[in-house]
Amino acid sequence: MITAGIDIGSITAKAAVLNDGKILGTRVLFTGYNAKQAGRMVLDELIREIDMSMDAINAVVSTGYGRNSVDFADKAVTEITCHGTGAHFIDPEIRFIVDVGGQDSKVIRIDETGRVLDFAMNDKCAAGTGRFLEVMARALEVDLDAFGPLSLQADAASKISSICTVFAESEVISLISKGETRENIIAGIHDAAASRISAMARRVGIVPPVMMTGGVAKNIGAVRALETRLETPIRVSPHAQVNGAIGAAILARKL
Amino acid sequence: MTVFHDAATRVECDSIARWKKDGKPVVGYTCSYTPAEIFYAVDILPVRLRGIETDGMEVGDSYFGPFICSFPKCILQLAGKGRFSFLDGAIITPGCDGMRRLDECWRKAGEDFEGIVPDYFYYFDVPHKSENHGMAWYIEEINQLIKSVEDHFNVNITNEKLQAAIREFNKGRRLLNEIERLRCEKDVVVSGTDVFAAAVAGTVMPRDEYTAELKKWVSALKKRKTSLSEGKHRVMLVGSISDEIDLFELIENTQKALIVGENLCFGIRYEGNEIAEDGDPIEALAGHYLGSSVCPRMYGKYKERLAMLKERIGQSRAEGVIMQNIRFCDLHGAENALFERDLEAMGIPCLRVEREYGPHIDIGRMKLRINAFLERIEGRKKANKGDGDET
Repeated sequence: MITAGIDIGSITAKAAVLNDGKILGTRVLFTGYNAKQAGRMVLDELIREIDMSMDAINAVVSTGYGRNSVDFADKAVTEITCHGTGAHFIDPEIRFIVDVGGQDSKVIRIDETGRVLDFAMNDKCAAGTGRFLEVMARALEVDLDAFGPLSLQADAASKISSICTVFAESEVISLISKGETRENIIAGIHDAAASRISAMARRVGIVPPVMMTGGVAKNIGAVRALETRLETPIRVSPHAQVNGAIGAAILARKL
Repeated sequence: MTVFHDAATRVECDSIARWKKDGKPVVGYTCSYTPAEIFYAVDILPVRLRGIETDGMEVGDSYFGPFICSFPKCILQLAGKGRFSFLDGAIITPGCDGMRRLDECWRKAGEDFEGIVPDYFYYFDVPHKSENHGMAWYIEEINQLIKSVEDHFNVNITNEKLQAAIREFNKGRRLLNEIERLRCEKDVVVSGTDVFAAAVAGTVMPRDEYTAELKKWVSALKKRKTSLSEGKHRVMLVGSISDEIDLFELIENTQKALIVGENLCFGIRYEGNEIAEDGDPIEALAGHYLGSSVCPRMYGKYKERLAMLKERIGQSRAEGVIMQNIRFCDLHGAENALFERDLEAMGIPCLRVEREYGPHIDIGRMKLRINAFLERIEGRKKANKGDGDET
């Protein structure tokens, strides 16, 4: 059975196509202004890439903040459930997921079947999210892709005391004017975000093995900072950014 | 039902307008600790003050500052915009520190916005303990309030009048209790949204009019056959003060959940507790409003509150509890964490969400959390049936 999952996030739209538990392909695009159009476009591009027609897809599940705007989806499921399902599919040993996307961060505890046992999300605040890192990268004039490797070169992480993105940005600017190195500031930024996420994770109860998903999982500095804060190794799959879309495609098999 | 929805969704509803048209006074009050019977006994309409229909926060923010619960700020916002011009009086009660500050913020705003402070503006203190000296203090506060109302409105609040008002209010309490029993049935025939609207309406409508409408509605409900609970998850809604019908709608419009009970400052909470209709009416009022209260502002009552919540969860067959707290609400923020810890340990799924009251209600984020929580309940049910999510 061929199924597709579409995950419309605040920054990127992701698609995954699976055939009976085998990943045929995945795709990531910027969401842009029109979430509905992004959902259609990301799947169109993916099926073109894997040389498949839309008719071959038996079922589609949408997820992400724009899940209800995907009008061709058979069902919309929240990203909490999809990330749980996706992580379990990729690595059945996983019991705890930290998903850090553009707009929010979430922690999810799952059982041995991938079922969500408990979860928590950050509330109405960009701190500890991909957007937080984007704002900081702009303030430091560093490409976001370089953020992770640069932070690993820090000799001592700067202290970012504010948990608010707006205040943290002005704090970073103060650190720059004091002559603090970029590497140390970036390491401090990662630690500030990790600190916030770890408090949320402890509320739900961390059960290893832990997997990190979402776009921020591509940032090695953020992963390392989180490992330190959670006091446990973190597994990152090559499909971390499209984990939600994969979970959605898995759930589509049950429709 | 229309009359209840009108009363629950408009600050100056038709019932209030009709009362004013008859030339009778209206007094607003802020907290469930105010014995509304005192006013109703002498033909003054007691109206619970609310923050609905707020479309900005510039007045509220100016006097309260940003780091405080948005509920009292919304009340001040409405006051500053003249939306409470129908009030002849207002009673401010320290339900929490935010509400206590409404007293000084409203008075201060009155220096800048002419005419927004009603002629009668009274601070009604409420102790945080109901035993011994706390109860004696509260009774003294009631006596002072009565004297003040008598002096200002030129009325005579006798024991007989108080007892008549208690009897009228009790009729409504009994009817709401009947609705609570209907919500405990296997097949529930009424939505949480409608029940909440009816409960909120009781805090603003003239009580005899309310009793008559409620009687008709309960009678109609008893004849209903169509189950609204079939195929839906039964949930309870608890936490910070809320009088927002749209919060209930947000949950029930998922088409996956039915709210079968709530423990909110508005809504049905103590309706099992009628007020004694004989004996000293002031002691009876104090015994009810302070003595039977287990809201988190009261010291040393957590175990009672937890026991009450557990009992209601059991009676209403709730499968999960949604705990909301308005940002900066320390009382419910702290209590929700304790509830979550204790209820989850008993195997009752809980969702804890922080939100804003009023115009800032964050619908998209709330929907996501609620839907994810309902999916969690569904997954749990399937697992219990042996229909797991093997992927």
